[in-house]
Parts: sequence; C-alpha cells; structure tokens
Amino acid sequence: MTKRLLMLIAGAAVLAGAAVAQEPIRLGAMYPLTGGGAIYGVPAMAGHQLAIEEINKRGGVMGRKLESIERDDKMNPSTASATMKELITKDNVHLVVGGLSSAVGLGMSEVSKQEKIVYISTIAKTIQMTTSKLHPHVFRTASNTDLEGDTMAMLVGKYHLKKLCHLQLDYAYGQDLEIGVVKALPIRAPDAKIVLTLKPKLGATDFNAFIPQVMAAGCDGVVSGLWGPHFVSWVKQASPLGFFDKIKWISGGEIAAHEIAGELKGEYPDNVISNTYELWYHSIDPLHKTFQEALAKKLGTNETPQWAMLGYNGVMFAAAAIEKAKSLDSDKIAAALEGLTVNTPVGKLTIDPKTHQANTGQFWGPMVKKPGKDYRVMEPVEFIQPKS
Amino acid sequence: MPSRNLGIAAIVIVLALALLPLSGSRYALDLSTQVLIYCLFALSLNVLIGYIGNVSFGHAAYFAIGGYSCVILLTTYQWPLMLALPAAIVVSGLAAAAIGYFCVRLTEIYFAMLTLAFAMLVWGVAFKWKDVTGGDDGFTGVLMPKLLEDHANFFWFTLVSVSVGVALLWMICHSAFGLTLVAIRENAVRAGFVGVDTRKMRWAAFTVAGTFAGLAGALFGMYNRGMYIENAFWTESAQVLIMVLLGGIHSFIGPLIGAAVLYLLQIVTNQYTPYWPTVLGTILLIVVLVLPDGLTGLAKRFRIFSGS
Amino acid sequence: MTLPVFLTNVFYGLALAMNMFVIASGLNLIFGVLRVINFAHGMFYMFGAYFMFTVTKSWGAPFIVGVLAAGAGLAAIALVIERFLLRRLYGKEHLMQLLFTFAIVLLMSDAAKMIWGTDQYSVGYPPSLRGAVQLGPTIVPQYLVFLCAAGPMIAVAMWLAVDRTRWGRIVRAATQDREMLAALGVNVPMVYAMVFTIGSALAGIGGALAAPRIALAPGMDATIINECFIIVIIGGLGHLWGSFLGALAFGFVVQFGTILVPNWQDVLPYLLMLSVLLIRPWGLLGRPELSR
Repeated sequence: MTKRLLMLIAGAAVLAGAAVAQEPIRLGAMYPLTGGGAIYGVPAMAGHQLAIEEINKRGGVMGRKLESIERDDKMNPSTASATMKELITKDNVHLVVGGLSSAVGLGMSEVSKQEKIVYISTIAKTIQMTTSKLHPHVFRTASNTDLEGDTMAMLVGKYHLKKLCHLQLDYAYGQDLEIGVVKALPIRAPDAKIVLTLKPKLGATDFNAFIPQVMAAGCDGVVSGLWGPHFVSWVKQASPLGFFDKIKWISGGEIAAHEIAGELKGEYPDNVISNTYELWYHSIDPLHKTFQEALAKKLGTNETPQWAMLGYNGVMFAAAAIEKAKSLDSDKIAAALEGLTVNTPVGKLTIDPKTHQANTGQFWGPMVKKPGKDYRVMEPVEFIQPKS
Repeated sequence: MPSRNLGIAAIVIVLALALLPLSGSRYALDLSTQVLIYCLFALSLNVLIGYIGNVSFGHAAYFAIGGYSCVILLTTYQWPLMLALPAAIVVSGLAAAAIGYFCVRLTEIYFAMLTLAFAMLVWGVAFKWKDVTGGDDGFTGVLMPKLLEDHANFFWFTLVSVSVGVALLWMICHSAFGLTLVAIRENAVRAGFVGVDTRKMRWAAFTVAGTFAGLAGALFGMYNRGMYIENAFWTESAQVLIMVLLGGIHSFIGPLIGAAVLYLLQIVTNQYTPYWPTVLGTILLIVVLVLPDGLTGLAKRFRIFSGS
Repeated sequence: MTLPVFLTNVFYGLALAMNMFVIASGLNLIFGVLRVINFAHGMFYMFGAYFMFTVTKSWGAPFIVGVLAAGAGLAAIALVIERFLLRRLYGKEHLMQLLFTFAIVLLMSDAAKMIWGTDQYSVGYPPSLRGAVQLGPTIVPQYLVFLCAAGPMIAVAMWLAVDRTRWGRIVRAATQDREMLAALGVNVPMVYAMVFTIGSALAGIGGALAAPRIALAPGMDATIINECFIIVIIGGLGHLWGSFLGALAFGFVVQFGTILVPNWQDVLPYLLMLSVLLIRPWGLLGRPELSR
C-alpha cells in the first residue's frame, strides 16, 4: 500500500517536472568479499560501484539516485539466501545483483522466486538457472556453460585436434561445462575424440595424480575448465615436465584474464587458448575505451581485472530495466528485462525473453609472447558473441 | 537459580516472543526464526560438551541429515509435515546413534577428530548423491505446507518447536541421566567404579544431541526453503562449536546466549563493513580475554556484584 | 599400473607427504605441549607463503632467504600472540583457547586482505630447481626431489633437538606433566613460548616451501588445517615420528586414492583417519593416555 502510494507520488513529481529530492532506488549487491571467492568478488564489486557512480553522475534513474547496498555473501548459499532476504525485508531493495558460484546463484534465485524480487545473476554460469530452474524473476548477464562449451568445441575444430583429454573440476560448474563441451563436439569438431576424462576436486592444489595420466594418454589437445588458482597450480606442477610443449590447452574458466597472465608472467605456458570477459589492453570501440579508462582511474592501475565488467554490466541492465519499466514493481521490471538491449562496453547485449539469458560475449584467443612485454597477451583477439 | 523462577522466566520470554509478529516487521520475524533455530542447534551440541565433556567437531552432520531428510520427504516424496518432521528427527537420531556407537569408544581429541571424519563423510554423501540431494547445486524448491508459507505462522511453528526442544533438553539434562553425565564429565573413572556404564551413557548423550540437532536442521531446511552441502561442512560444525564456547559451556542457557549473540554479530557486522572479520575477531578476543567462562560468565559476575 | 607409473606415483605421494610433514610437525609440537587446538595454524601456513611472495618476488631476494624470512616472520607473529594474548589463557577453561585461535584466524584473514589484497600470486621456482630430472625409470620435477630431501632433514633435526638436548627433554616432560615440571623449577611459560614460536615457524616454512608449486590466493588456509590435524592424529599425538608416518600415509592415500577412486577424493583424508582411529584409537604410534 505504502509502496503504491510512494509510486504515485513519484509519478506525480515526474509529471510536474520538479527535481525534488526523492527517495533513492535501492539496489542490493552481493559478492564474496572474504575467503576464497574474494579474488572475483572484490573486483566485481568495484565494477558495480563504478556503474552506480556513473549513473548517479548522469542524474540517476527516473530522476532518482541509485543507492547501492552491498553485502559479503561469503560464497555460502545459506548465508547468501539469508542475506538476500535481509536486503529485501530490512533494506527494501528493489532489485538484487551479484552472486558467485553455482550454488549461491541458485540459492539467490530461489529467494528471488519466493519473494518475487528481480535477481540479475552476474557471474554464476550454471545452465540450470536459465533452463530447468528458470522462473519469471531471474535473469543472467554472465555467460553460461553451454555457450562456453560450444566455443571450446569450435576451437578444437579450428586447431584440427583429434585426440582430446578432458579436464573439469568435479563440482557444478565443471559438470555443466563438461556437458556443454560434449554436446557441441560432434557438431563443431566431428573428428575429435575424447580419450580421457579426469575430474580434480574443487579447490585442489596438488595435481600430481592427474598430470602423469594426461601425459601418458598421448593427447594432442586438452579441453579444460580449470579456472584461476587451479590452472595456476596445474601450470606450476606440470611445466617442469615439459607438459605444455606439445599439447594445445583449450580452456574455459577465463584463464586468459590479465590477472593470471600478469601474475604468472614468464611462467605462463605456451599453447594456451582461452577466454576472458575483458582485456584492459584491447578495446572494441570508444565506449569500451571510456569504460576502461574510468575503471583504471577508480582502481589506480591500468591493468584492470576482468571481473569488474560483470559487476558493471549487472547495474547497467538493472538501471535500463527500471528506466524502461518506469516503475519499481518487480513484475514490471522483469517484463522490461525480457528482450531488453543495453549498450555495454563490450557491445550491445540483449536478454532473450525466453531463457532470460543475455548474449554476453567473451574474448577468445591464443596467449602469446610479445617483444617488450614481460607478460603474455592474447593475439589475435576474437570477440565471440552468441547471436541474440 | 531455583528452577521455578527459571521456568517462569522462560515462559515469559516465550510469550513475549510469540507477540513478535504483531510488530509487523518481516525482517524481525526472519531474523528471530534463524536465531531460534541456531539456539536449539547450539544447545544440542552442549549436551556433549557441557555434560559429558566431549567436544564434537562434526555436529553439523546431524543438523544436515535432519534438514535434508525433512526437505526431501516434503518435496520429493510429498509427505505431509506431520510425518516428514518426525521422520527427519528419527533419521538424524538413528544416524547419530550409528555414528556415536563408534565415536564413544574414544575420548578427548580423538573423539573430536572421529566425529569430524564421520561428518565429512556425511558431507561427501550429500555432495555425491546428486539424484537425491541435488549435490553441490543444493536442494531447492522445497514444497511447504500451505499453512507454513505464511511467515508469521512459520515463526510461531519454529517458536513452539524450539521451545519444546529446549524444554525436553532441560528435562533430560536435569534428570538422573543428566546428573550421571555430569559425573562422567567430572571423573569418568570414578563414575565407572560406582557402576555407571560410561560408554553407554555417552552413547545415549550422543544420540540425544544428534536428534535435537536434526530437529534444528529440519526447521532450518524449511525456513531456508533449501539445503546445501555447506550446511554439513566442517566450517558449519566449527561455527556452532564457537557459539557454544562463546556462550559458556558450564550452564544450560549459555549456548542459547552464545548462538544468539554470535549469529546476530555476524549479520550486523556484515551490514556495516566488508572488514567484518576484524570487528568480529576483536569482539571475540575481548570476550575470551576478559570472560573466561564465556558470556554467561559475565552474567554471573554481574550477579555477584549486584548481590542477588 | 606399470612399475614406472607406480614408482612415479610413489614419488609424488612422498613429495606431498614431506611438504605436509613440515607443517604438521609444527602443529604436533604445539598440540603435544600446549594442548592448544590451534585453528590458526593454517593461517600461519598461508602467511608463510605470502611472506615468501613478498620477499622473493617483490624484493627479489633468493629462494632460501624467502624460506628463512617466512620462518622468522611467523616466529615473530607467534611470539607476539603468545606473549601478549595466549599466555593469559593457559590457566583458564581449556576450550576457550579454541575460541581464541578462531578470533586470530578472523583477524589475520583480514590483515592478509589489507596487506596483499585479493589477487592471486605466483612464486617462481628457484632457478637451479626449475626443470625435471631423470630418477630411475621416471622423470620428475627437480623441486620435488628437493622437497623429498628437505622433509627428512627437518624431521631429523627436530628429533635431535627433542631427543638429544636438555631443552628437548624439558619439552617432552612438558607433554607429560607440566605441574611437576614447574615444581622442579623449570620456567614453563618460557618453554611454552618457545614451543609455540617454533611450531608456528614450521608452519611458515611449510607455506614457503609449498609456495612455488601452488597458486597463492585467499582461502588457501582453509583445508590445510584439517589435513594437518589428520596427520597429527593418525600418527599419534606428541610423536614426532608418528607425524612423519602420518604424513606418509596421508601422501600415499591421497596420491593413489585420487587415481583409483577419483569420486571420493574430497573425503580421502577423512576416510584414512576414520580407518586408523577405528583400528588404533590412539593413532599409529600413540599410546592410551592416562586418565585426567
């Protein structure tokens, strides 16, 4: 009742064209800021804050300021669910963005379903969110495991690989990505055959049980979903044996990100072809360049992390949806998100009205040495975006 | 404190809490529901720590078994709540009895580590048995009885369940059985000499603790509308252990206070700063250094000074 | 599994075991003497690895300096914690020490975030140990050969210190009966401080030794603490060689178990502990304790 009254007042104010100070629009943001997930959560939150600042500088949404209410989700689905309920019932947020890891994403999606508040998932890639567990109020601006698996299969075909070893982490993301790859292989690379599938555990730091098996299998290519620290540990343990000398490593999990290349520097192996959401040294258009400069200014470094883009785009979609809906009603925001196109730094993204999935693209390419640089760069860069 | 006064105090507190839905705040209801559940969970653990002097590092296992059983029976098998909830409690009790049978052969740190090992197996089963538990995606989409979908109703339901649970634990701990347990804690050898079958008694206590943790877990699964493997992970066991220690292990109500305080502290600190671990860590440090008996030690001190 | 493959895996199991032993031996020392369940030991390990990063990568110091600096750094941190905080708790409720170490974990995790941020880091191998070496029928990384040698060296050094010196005798006595020790005029608080410092330094050294072969990232403290406790417990509390044996069992079970039953790799250490405790309730080399 009060909500409706407020909205009525809001509408009246807009009609009168008066720039009266109004109650801000409240956006809940949840990323892991402590523990193992903080590698991704902290930069994503920085991108989120940048988007909020930019929008408010432009005058906000519907003439109202955006207020960001930020919480640590601790990468624990129960904590995340409770925290999201708190954002909804205590802070009265109008929309929630964020969530890392499949379980947290699905847990938050469940709360969004019960409470009928729109949730935009910005990082979690599990395909279930936009298939079997889809509901009217959940949307995703991250990529997903089907898209990622399809591109990996395409690269297998492009490099004419025949004998593949398949490495995936043994948990939700790895299992979903495995399905994505296996589904796409017969279409994208009919000649390729998976001869060995291995699944290290999530959080593994010692891969010595797996490295000899892959080396003995005689593969000419590895398709992998080992992300972040897993990939780094694998590299450090396998490189001394010359593992990467004769194998193409085609990988999802964004290991082409500069966070990894810039840290491993000379240790980054040959023959890696992978993806990333963002490359600070490569921009596709002036808008992208502007975003990179703004982020560099905010973070105080040119070598900005890729995850900021995901936090940034989540806010942009939220703001555009509210603007289009001209309302803070969840059902209207959800309706506005269906088919919504937003001009993001990495091109125009559109949310599919059926699956609620944005056609988010990623940069794919081989990681090569460049004279004068002590870290590897992606070259040539290919921006692969699914058709909307 | 005479038990009659305590009983009156308890009734007053429960009645006061029962009026909470009148405040109209969803948030207050949600938060109180969570706190009540963790209070029961912590209290059930203290049957082991406070009464037989054995620390369990794996108490989350029974919480998770209760929670998973309840939500799976409600959702997958569509049992009515009146069957699903008791069944969940029985399942966690049986699991505790089976695991406890092995654990009570050991004492001290070896006991603690064995409970940890079993709990991690429970976690492993929840993780790998994907068809039934949903694996690490979690079990979501719980079918709730219509009546309990209302937040106030669920709060009342939790309040009644937790109150009954606490009352039963009170009676158990203050019965002849409970006194025997204290005797075992104080001196197991001597208790053995006077004819107490210490292992059997500890086994019984283990089962009681697991059963009530199962009730807490079942309530949690319904409140959360889902269970996740993280609920069985060792960090969850550590969390409830910290609650008990914070409240104080030498009094019946200590764990209740510890659970409420720690849970609320975690939530409130997260609201104000991403550096909540520093704030929480500092508070815990002060409590440990100043109040060796936990928070109930504070209450005792206060009572001494006020002379009552 | 052919013989060369088998031997390769034996070697990898051994390397893992030796790295774990260095960390776990510190925990064993602390637990054996102080009876403190030190939750923060994993955090000490993480700090050791991060110190290694700062000293070798940011300051460009050689590998061995990094290892020593990690040991010294953790010794300093431990000394401060023991001297100003932990010491106040010895006479009080035993379990409160657990709450105390939990608070230390929270504070140190945030300190790490403030000092090093949340990026992941990489420490290079020392230049002389970068490649691989032919070892019998297999080729293995040189660095692991170094680890396999470093473990037993530390074990023997500790054994000499604990078994052959006066200080060692006092430490062993402290694991048995500290009241008697105090009555005999030994400065027990001093012994405790030294034990806590040395045990923590070992965690730091273990972290520094692990650093070149893994990614350094927040959260790396989480599982290591349980694994260390498992090693200490299955070996038998307060037994140096027990921990050595426990580490070997851990290394081989994890290495071969991961290959043979990959589905259960998450719980392998726990299965190992379960089987040991059900058969030998006091660990492999432990003896039943006298009643309190």
